[in-house]
Amino acid sequence: MIRLIDAFTDATGRLIAWCMPLIVLGTVMIVVLRYQFAVNTTLIQELVLYLHGLAFMLAIPWALKQDAHVRVDLIYSRLTTRGRAWVNLIGHLAFLFPTGVFILLESQSYVAMSWRMREGSPDVGGLQGVYLLKTLIPAMAALLLLQGVAETLRALRTLRDRHA
Amino acid sequence: MPDPGLVQMVPVLLFAAVFVALLAGYSVALTLAGVSLIFAFAGMAAGVFMPSDLGFMPGRLFGIITNQTLIAVPLFVFMGVVLEKTRIAELLLESLSQLMGRIPGGLGLAVVLVGALLAASTGIVGATVVTMGLISLPTMLKQGYDPRFATGVISATGTLGQIIPPSIALVLLGDVLGNAYQRAQLSQGVMAPKTVSVGDLFAGALMPGLLLVGLYLAYVAWTALATPERTPPARAVGDARPSIGQLLKGLLPPLVLVVIVLGSIIGGFATPTEAAGLGAAGSVCLAFAYRAMSLQILREVSESTLKTTAMVFFILIGASLFSLVFRGYGGEALIHEWFNHMPGGMWGALAIVMLVIFLLGFMLDFIEIIFVVIPIVGPVLLAMGVDPIWLGVLIAVNLQTSFLTPPFGFALFYLRGVTPPSIPTSDMYRGVVPFVCIQLLLLVIVVLWPSLATWLPNLLYH
Repeated sequence: MIRLIDAFTDATGRLIAWCMPLIVLGTVMIVVLRYQFAVNTTLIQELVLYLHGLAFMLAIPWALKQDAHVRVDLIYSRLTTRGRAWVNLIGHLAFLFPTGVFILLESQSYVAMSWRMREGSPDVGGLQGVYLLKTLIPAMAALLLLQGVAETLRALRTLRDRHA
Repeated sequence: MPDPGLVQMVPVLLFAAVFVALLAGYSVALTLAGVSLIFAFAGMAAGVFMPSDLGFMPGRLFGIITNQTLIAVPLFVFMGVVLEKTRIAELLLESLSQLMGRIPGGLGLAVVLVGALLAASTGIVGATVVTMGLISLPTMLKQGYDPRFATGVISATGTLGQIIPPSIALVLLGDVLGNAYQRAQLSQGVMAPKTVSVGDLFAGALMPGLLLVGLYLAYVAWTALATPERTPPARAVGDARPSIGQLLKGLLPPLVLVVIVLGSIIGGFATPTEAAGLGAAGSVCLAFAYRAMSLQILREVSESTLKTTAMVFFILIGASLFSLVFRGYGGEALIHEWFNHMPGGMWGALAIVMLVIFLLGFMLDFIEIIFVVIPIVGPVLLAMGVDPIWLGVLIAVNLQTSFLTPPFGFALFYLRGVTPPSIPTSDMYRGVVPFVCIQLLLLVIVVLWPSLATWLPNLLYH
């Protein structure tokens, strides 16, 4: 179960990592097109914005798996493996799950409204997928909860192993 | 119904609870979000918190997703990681120290200069301190430098990334201060508020940043002249002077990048975000030119960049939930009232804010402080007439000082990790004290002469 979720999250992370060079490329194109050819770049600007939003939102669960989210480690770095597992277990239960569930539920009506009207860009020549961009919010929460399950199981396993 | 006096103090409790919970060491972003939610739901159960205040959250999240300015974050991180992974940074230090190693204190001066250039192109304290420590500390010790002096120079220059533009700290600070400035003016009934941008802050931090590097260089030179035994020059064994070609090869890339990025912003033909994109693309081109780029490296750079980006934005998400709940409980009004009754008015309030930021800097990294503290105190301070650019520069210098100050300074922890155990921590503490004094001197200078920070942005943009 842990392995399955980990593999899924890893695959997502590695795939969307390629958004990064694309964002660089897009930004360069915006500058060149605007200053050299005076072309309207709204479309590319929004494309970069979408890529960026997609990348960081969906990478949040991946960063959780990779333990890349910052901690205040004055105390944490001195704890034993068991101590760390306890901090993580309590943290997941008290903070991660409520946050994930809250964002998931609270964004339902917000996103549903956007879908009903197929909300598009407020700018002329922009992308017409604002409703998709908003969908990133519950998607991030759902993936975070999924990876949270794996992390909770992992912490439990560490605690149980040491008991034996 | 709970006692209203108690309810009024809930924002203070919330802040304290978050702080204590953070110390346990769980993810900062989730701790911020989780503790705030617990307070919000407890408040709803007690009938003292409006559920509708939480309803702003999806809109806030969407605002974060569509924030154009913050796209500069992954772009700058990308540029820094390319320089790090392709070892271009190491090449720079090697060639500079070869050039300057023979004059007294030359290696020390080289380290300060490289630190400044690297800071300008990476801007993450931990990364810069560790990189500098790994590359230059062994060389300095081998050459017979006093370990105290060597570790002091390295920790100090490693934190330059806070203040020297283009730094990620200034991007985040510029964005948050911009929002705070708008709120401050709207609260005073200004309907067409003036703006402050990341570009303004870059321009504002440039002169103080250069002055700081100048002060560091002066201190290193003074040490070399007054106590030559602490900074012996390289022994002339075998290694010939580097050729001009080698030297250029090392020096050129970071210089080119800094000129591209800062030049295009200050020249006014790119926004900071666009300039960051140019810098990132430039770093990839340089890596290709140095035959240091491959698909594998590009993959590593992308993954590392994505992880850092997700981490930064997740803190922003957690912090915005925190500030929603903080405001929902009337925290902003509370701070407003405190500051207005502060002895010394604006100066008293500013002094308190600076002190709090300095102390928080012992526990938290700049990202958390900028996202959590500035949105709370920023609008109130700015409404009292504090100049936003000046405030931004003061905060940046202050945080940098905090990261250097023993015994809790972040930079010292990072450097400790890559310093041989034979050098006691107490030596590192003593070595950094002169640099902390220089920092405080700069802080005083900027307080006394605000135009040092505000002159260039006014000249460029108004």
